[in-house]
Amino acid sequence: MGLLAAGIGAGIAAIGAGIGIGMIGKGAVESIARQPEASGDIRGAMILTAALIEGVALIAAIVCILLVFFA
Amino acid sequence: MIQAFRRLLVTALILFTVVPTIQATQESAKESQDAESEQEMPIDVIGKVQDHNYLNIAGYHLNLPRILLVEGDWYFYGSTESAIESGNFVEQEGSLIPVDGRELTMDFSITSHLMYFWFGVALTLWLTIAMARKYKRGAGRKTEPKGWFQNLFEITFVFVRDDIAKTNIPKDKYEKFVPYLFAVFISITFMNLFGLLPWGVTATADITVTGILAAFTFFLTQWNGSKDHWEHVFMFPGVPPLMRVILTPIEILGLFTKPLALAVRLFANMLSGKIMIVCILGLIFIFTEFFGTIFGAGSSILVVPLTVALYVLKAFVGVLQAYIFTLLSAVFIGMAAEEHDHHEEGAEAHA
Repeated sequence: MGLLAAGIGAGIAAIGAGIGIGMIGKGAVESIARQPEASGDIRGAMILTAALIEGVALIAAIVCILLVFFA
Repeated sequence: MIQAFRRLLVTALILFTVVPTIQATQESAKESQDAESEQEMPIDVIGKVQDHNYLNIAGYHLNLPRILLVEGDWYFYGSTESAIESGNFVEQEGSLIPVDGRELTMDFSITSHLMYFWFGVALTLWLTIAMARKYKRGAGRKTEPKGWFQNLFEITFVFVRDDIAKTNIPKDKYEKFVPYLFAVFISITFMNLFGLLPWGVTATADITVTGILAAFTFFLTQWNGSKDHWEHVFMFPGVPPLMRVILTPIEILGLFTKPLALAVRLFANMLSGKIMIVCILGLIFIFTEFFGTIFGAGSSILVVPLTVALYVLKAFVGVLQAYIFTLLSAVFIGMAAEEHDHHEEGAEAHA
């Protein structure tokens, strides 16, 4: 049961993080295309935001790992 | 210095590539026996990321000292075996427990993660102090930086100073934090990349290590918090008093969740990278176990290139996560150290 929950949870977390990071990438590429001279600043902001989303997804991943081994 | 470093690097590389092949045959023969007798799982994934009381260097078991505190009495042993042989302790579920029924207060043993943490810190200290001496002598200040290593060092340092510290921390204060940010960046990079060496241990794949690093950032942030920072935490300006009852606990919680997320992010990234590599490489052994040797050998055609790709990705992620940790530390410090103008005036100016 714990294994099932961990699998489903990891999948849902991956979906959420995928949508989020995809939207960041979309926004960054669009704005770099519109204003190529600001690509450095945009890249920094992109990495920062992606890291924040990744943090949430990884907390979900940790919960899944804990479910596998301790539930 | 650079000559010495290069020689050391080449020696280490040779050591890491040659010695394993000599050791591998005996070691693998022994390990397969152990694996068969102890458990039915073909690979031990969690064993690869767990903290151990020994260092596995090129197939040799290097036992690390056990230091145990039992209700005020200190016990020192050279290894886990000698602790058990002394008759004072028995091993129970991976940890040592006193025989005479007393409680184990704290296990101060030096573990593999701690050793690799020290390796990272020592390498950082050595490189930065050597470089600082070099700059003090004038090379790089009066003349151009010489050699690839000094150039690389200078690029990294200028990157941390200008792109991480200067852009996120207020102009008049950022210089104070550059040493911390640079040290954290370099040592986390080393710790992450050590995990990619054969038999290497990723010290940052341990929540306690990343927790300590995040705690440094937390205390530095609070210590350097400006008056405005604390005002925002306890008496949020410009909101009704009743709203403060809700906002203040959230803000206080926010102080702790930021470093927590910092620690968990680094930990989970490193752990997942390590587990992924071990799992995908372990597919060979799983296939061999279930479908026979030929199928297992055949799967390696697919698995090995995939592992190589993951390795490259992990090397990139190791540097990227060090950058993100440093960047977010700088952002948090900058947010706390910032001194605002009054908000009412700001709101009017915008409106």
